[in-house]
Amino acid sequence: MTVKEQLKKIIVEELNLEEISPEEIEDDAPLFGEGLGLDSLDAVEIVVLLEKHFGVEIKSLDEGREAFRSINTLAAYIEERMPR
Amino acid sequence: MKLAIRGVGAVGGFGCGLEALNAALSSGDHKTKHVVVKTAQGPCEMPAYLADTSRLEYFLNKRALRRVDHYSRMALLGAYLALEDAGRLDEDRSRMGIIIASGYGPGRATLVFLDTFIHDGDGLSSPTSFSNSVQNAAAANISILLNITGPGLTVGQLEMSVPSALIAASLWLEEGKVDSVLFGAVDEYHDELGYFWHRFFGEKATADHEMKPFEFDLQTGIPGEGAAFFLLTRADEGVSPYGCIEDVIINRCDRSPLEIPKDALLFIGADGHKQCGKYYKEHLPENVQLACYTPIYGSLPMGPAFDMAIAALSFKQGMIFPSQACTGDERALDVNRITCLKISGSGEAGLISLIKGN
Repeated sequence: MTVKEQLKKIIVEELNLEEISPEEIEDDAPLFGEGLGLDSLDAVEIVVLLEKHFGVEIKSLDEGREAFRSINTLAAYIEERMPR
Repeated sequence: MKLAIRGVGAVGGFGCGLEALNAALSSGDHKTKHVVVKTAQGPCEMPAYLADTSRLEYFLNKRALRRVDHYSRMALLGAYLALEDAGRLDEDRSRMGIIIASGYGPGRATLVFLDTFIHDGDGLSSPTSFSNSVQNAAAANISILLNITGPGLTVGQLEMSVPSALIAASLWLEEGKVDSVLFGAVDEYHDELGYFWHRFFGEKATADHEMKPFEFDLQTGIPGEGAAFFLLTRADEGVSPYGCIEDVIINRCDRSPLEIPKDALLFIGADGHKQCGKYYKEHLPENVQLACYTPIYGSLPMGPAFDMAIAALSFKQGMIFPSQACTGDERALDVNRITCLKISGSGEAGLISLIKGN
């Protein structure tokens, strides 16, 4: 399973997005606001999930803001920093 | 101060809503399910009264419910049903308060949060788990989703939670702090509770038995879960078919006699716990008309709220539902006062008296 596929599955399952399946999440759609409709509490939850599942920490707000734009940006952030 | 009951909502092992409660009371059906408890000796089955909250999706979409756990869902459903029953779902709620009573609180969420804390460390604990684990979680979820902007409170005092919280509701209305109180009680069953139940009561918990609340010397309790909610206002706002809460008293039955009104029909909350049964056996007055409905909803600290709902329904229907103490069919209600009595395992007694009309 690719990082993007894992991310989608984790987001749907851990954030209880019952009305959408992982396959329905578009790679470049915004995660917050108009796109997937996530909110600030989800952002905190995703920070925890990234560390738990990928061993990747988001250390600063600026880094997080950029990474949290879409599945594409989040996957790229993880792949750059994931322990080998 | 008298409190008028304007609407009632209930969900529990008997089903969802007043119709389901009414049907269970009339038929006497005990709808237990079997749960599996993990024990040192292997998995063990035991009966439990479980609540189904699927009706909540009639009021809210899945997205709105995604962070709301089972404990809060039961409370939320009870709240919606009570407001719907009162015909006040679309009302402004800026002058409404919310008070919730719970004996156990959000036990499942608390233990889930502790598990993440223990296994992954404090830095990786889920914030959603944390927010569902706090004692006020159900009241907070209801306030947010129903836009109740008055004060909110959760009272936890085991079996005395319901009368204790009712005293707070009465004070809020008397002081004019709010115009109405959405008052509710909720307790949930979860795996760990089942484990504790099995540890404490052993074979009595696993046997395929029925609750026998009047067998005071026997342990026959079956764990239950659910929520019962009431929309309360001051009584001077007009007559309610559900009647009024006239008086709430908490005392110790081993220190002073129970203050049971002589003309009352007494609903006792004996729920098959031997530890509590001894107090009922010793302190119940003679020549009092008794009924007990715990076999309809199970053993749980918030049981008095179910008894309140049954009392309110009895006034509205003008009938006494059959119970193990009132043998025979349904019959016309011949009293104007019903007192709900709950005695705890340490001898505390909570009495909630309801009267017909206002």
